[in-house]
Formats: sequence, structure tokens, C-alpha cells
Amino acid sequence: MIDQRIDLTVVQRWMQTVLMHPAGVETGVASEAARAWIDVTPDQAESVVEPSHSLSGLERLAIYNRAYFARLLECLRDSYRVLFEAIGEEAFDDFAINYLQGFPSRSYTLNDLGKHFPDYLRQSRLQADAGETWPDFVIDLATLESLYNAVFDGPGVENQPLVSSESLAAIPPESWPHVRLIPVPCLKLLALHFPVHEYYSAIRRGLDADYPEPSETLLAVLRRDYQIRRYELTRPQFELLAAIIRGENLESALALAADSAVDLDSFAADLNIWFRNWTAEEFFLDVADAGQSKFDV
Amino acid sequence: MTTPRLGYPNLGLGVGLRTAHFPYILQHNPTVDWFEIISENFMDSGGRPRYILEQIAERYPVVMHGVSLSIGSTDPLNFDYLNKLKRLAETSNARWVSDHLCWTGIAGLNTHDLLPIPLNEQTLKHVVERVRVVQDVLERPLVLENPSSYVTFANSTIPEWEFLSLLAEEADCGLLLDVNNVYVSSVNHDFDPQQYIRSIPAHRVVQFHIAGHTHCGTHIIDTHDDHVVDPVWDLYRLAHQRTGGAATLLEWDAKIPEFPVVHAEVLKAKQYMNSEMVVKPLNSEPEERGEGPVTVPHPLAHIVPEIA
Repeated sequence: MIDQRIDLTVVQRWMQTVLMHPAGVETGVASEAARAWIDVTPDQAESVVEPSHSLSGLERLAIYNRAYFARLLECLRDSYRVLFEAIGEEAFDDFAINYLQGFPSRSYTLNDLGKHFPDYLRQSRLQADAGETWPDFVIDLATLESLYNAVFDGPGVENQPLVSSESLAAIPPESWPHVRLIPVPCLKLLALHFPVHEYYSAIRRGLDADYPEPSETLLAVLRRDYQIRRYELTRPQFELLAAIIRGENLESALALAADSAVDLDSFAADLNIWFRNWTAEEFFLDVADAGQSKFDV
Repeated sequence: MTTPRLGYPNLGLGVGLRTAHFPYILQHNPTVDWFEIISENFMDSGGRPRYILEQIAERYPVVMHGVSLSIGSTDPLNFDYLNKLKRLAETSNARWVSDHLCWTGIAGLNTHDLLPIPLNEQTLKHVVERVRVVQDVLERPLVLENPSSYVTFANSTIPEWEFLSLLAEEADCGLLLDVNNVYVSSVNHDFDPQQYIRSIPAHRVVQFHIAGHTHCGTHIIDTHDDHVVDPVWDLYRLAHQRTGGAATLLEWDAKIPEFPVVHAEVLKAKQYMNSEMVVKPLNSEPEERGEGPVTVPHPLAHIVPEIA
């Protein structure tokens, strides 16, 4: 039996090492990492954890080991439901178990568990033959789901007054170059290699969907009335909104966006419609540096 | 003598608030006495979960139940977490705040499990000191629950019921007596659950939990995925007799049925109040279901995003 005075920290470090071991508790107890805390072999584990009338100490520890992976896999599957559907249980769980080794939870909430999953997928060398594009599809889909999860429960502007088309129209023309539009905090942009948003929507509706062909996909995502909304963007729209989100004034934002426009005349002609639509879709919280704000209208 | 339930009210028969039931509750306003929320699901929410909590807190008493306080860990207490807990308690008008006698991780990690600690004088002192700090931050008594567990430690020297009694008295905190957990642990650790219930200081019991579980033959997993079994109801009857009654809550966290089924389950508790104790043999447990590959002890405190 171990000494009662053995430090609680030592017991906890040992037990955590064992229950998080991906190869199970026997390997976990025998591991160098566990033996650095309590130097027992699997045969000696009952000097730390007692047997019951029907289970050995190791069998009892194994309940925690199985539960650790089962619980966290269930959580990751919930967070990435469409990716799970897309690549299947075996491939998903392989990724997820490896992810848990590299990115164990450091948060008090399981809502953060999958936050780094897209980063892990990007960093890990997804095995694909030259020319195969499925790793990009997997990464894109994970990135989209991660963003949806974050926007779903992140800061929003429900029940707040927002910029109206009337307040935009009231800005004097000479003030426009200096205006900074303040985006709603839930407005996020995504640049992807695949139109995974359409695939995502189809799967969530229970429809059959083929893997999409690669195609540059630019999206704006936000939350309105507690629902996720997503909008396809052209490259100039994407650059314009990206500059606005970075805090550029309209003169600077428009110059950056114009650089990506193929036809400057149509770009200039479309601007009015874009801003009217984006205002109606509640992209903007306020107007700054125009000598007024939405509250003055 | 401490005031019964530390002065907290007996809220009646409540249900754990789960995402699957949000639409039903908002639409039907069921006549449930109160709701218990998982604190971590709402502490950082800026979206629909928080919005729904605000509506529910306007209509029903709410109690906060946490799963990440990790009061038994030797990691430093997370004061950012504690301050968020306090703010949520204020904004939701939580009647009290509870968590578990357990640790969830060490070295900055969180296993998201409710892990047992060795029960001895050293760990008792450690937990008492931490409960006092938490209560100072929250500015209210903490209520701690007995966890269900699957291991005991060779360096434990104090029975769990005695440890909880000493902890409650020395830290001046409340107890959430999970009757199902007493039963689960009694089978897993070969002790008498009635002795456990009889040994807990009745005046410190603020709340009861009841739940279903999975009997695997050699042990029980606390799955919260089924009806409450008769031996647990019998323990509940004993606990009710000893305490004179306390707020009672049903937890149902997996294979969650429609809200009326969950509500009807907790209302069964009325049958076990003020009725004579009928001692049944403890092997009256229903059929064993066996531990499948995905039998997961709860809680799994995670709100699944609802995205169309």
C-alpha cells in the first residue's frame, strides 16, 4: 500500500497519465510518464487503487480510461457532425484520438474542446497521393464547422440597434472617404478551396451530397436572431469586407477592393447595392468618423 | 445548530435543463417546480443558450450545477472561472451553486470527468481550505455533491460519508446528496448505502439528485440514461425521512426522452415522501444491460450547436 502521506499531486499526476493513455491502462501504468510519478508495474497497481469484490484495480481504472476517450470523442463528433458524416467513423475517430493527444483540453468547458481541430488537421500530414485534394476538403469542412460553432454561441447583436440604410444614406458624400463602418462582432469571413457550405447544408438537411469539386469559395458568416447566416462573396466583396473588419476607412477599403476587381465600372456601379444588401442583412453595428452615428438618425 | 438546508428553500421537484427540451419548455411552460443548469454551458454563452436561460430564469427558480470547479485538484483554483460563476449566479438569480467532491484534471488539463480523490486527513484539509476560498469569492455557501466513482485508493482512511460530513462541518458548506451516486458507489465499492444515507448530516443537505444508471454485472456506470430504479427510490425515501425533505432533481443526460417523460419521472418522488420505509433486498436491481463500448459516465456538459 502506498503511504497515506504521499502527496495528492503525485496520485493525481499518476492517475491522469494512466487514464489519458491511448493504449489503455496497463500500458499507461507501465509507461515512463506514469512511473515518473508512482513507480509501480501493472501487477503492483493495487498498491495505489484497490480492487473491488468483482474487479481488479486495473479493471476499475480502465472504466475511467474508456470513459475519457468515449466522452471526448462524442463531444468532437457533436461539434463536427458533418465532417463525421463525410469521412466516416473510423477516419474521424483516428483524427480525433490523435488530436486529443496533441491538444488535450485545457478549458473548463467542453465547448472549447474542438476549437483547435482545424489547426491540428492543417498541421498534421494528411496522407494523400500527389494531386489528391481531399485533405483540403477535410480541412475546409472542419474550418467551416468550427466557425459556425463559434458564431452560434459567441457575441452577437440580437436586440441591439444597428446601422440602417437610412442612416447610411444620411452620411454626407464628402464624409464617405473617412467613414469607418463598425461590423457586428459575429461577422466573420472565410476563404476556402471547396464550396463546403453547400455540402454542409445538404448533409444537415439529411440529403445525399457528393463531395464537391474544388472551387474558390469566399463566405461571410454571421448570426442574426440566433441563427447562423452565410453569404457567398465575390473577391472584391471579400476584400472590401475584410478591410472594413480590419478597421480601414471606406476610402482605403474601397481602394483595396478595387485592386481585385476585373471591371472597375461595374465595381463602382455595384457598390451601392452591396452596401444596401449588407445593411439589410445586419452586417454593420455602427458608423464611426462620419460626424454621426446610427443613434443620430 | 446550523439552519436546515443552510437556510436555502426546498424548491420542490425539478429537472435538469437540457438543450433537447428548450423548445418544449418555452412553448408549453410546464408546471415543473425548478430547473438546474450546467453552469459551464452558460458561463461564456453569448448566443441562444444564454438567451433561453434568461427566459427560463424569468419563469422558474434556477440552480447552478458545475462540473469543472475541480475542488479536489492540487492545481491552483481558477479565479477567472470563479468570477464567471459568480456573475452567472447573479444574472440568473441562481438559488445556490453546486459542484462535486472531485478533481477533473491537473497540470492545467481537464479530463472532463469527475474523478475521486483519496479520502484521508491530508486531502480533507486540502479540500476544506479550497471550499473556504471558493465561498469567499462566491459570497455564498457552496453545495458539494458526492460523486459516483469506480475506484477507491489504498491510501484512503476515511469512509466517504464521514469525509463529506467532516468537510461540510469544517468548511461550513452544504451538501447535494446524489442518492443514485450513493447506490452506484455502494455497488462498486461494496459498502452499505443505507449506512451512508444515515451518516450524512441531514441539516446540511440542500438538495437531492436522482437518476438512472447502467448495471454492467460487475459494476454500475452512472449513465443518467434511464428511469430511476427501485433501490434508488428506497434510498431516496430514507433520505427524505432523515432530512424532512429537500429540493429534488432528476438528471437525464443521454437517450433523453420527451420532456413529459422526464418530468413524470421526477414526480414519482412524491410516492416516496412521507411513506413507510420498505426495506427491499439490494439485489432487486433490474436486468443487467452490460457495458457497451460507448457506455459513458455523465456528465457530458456540452451544448450541441443547433445550426440549420
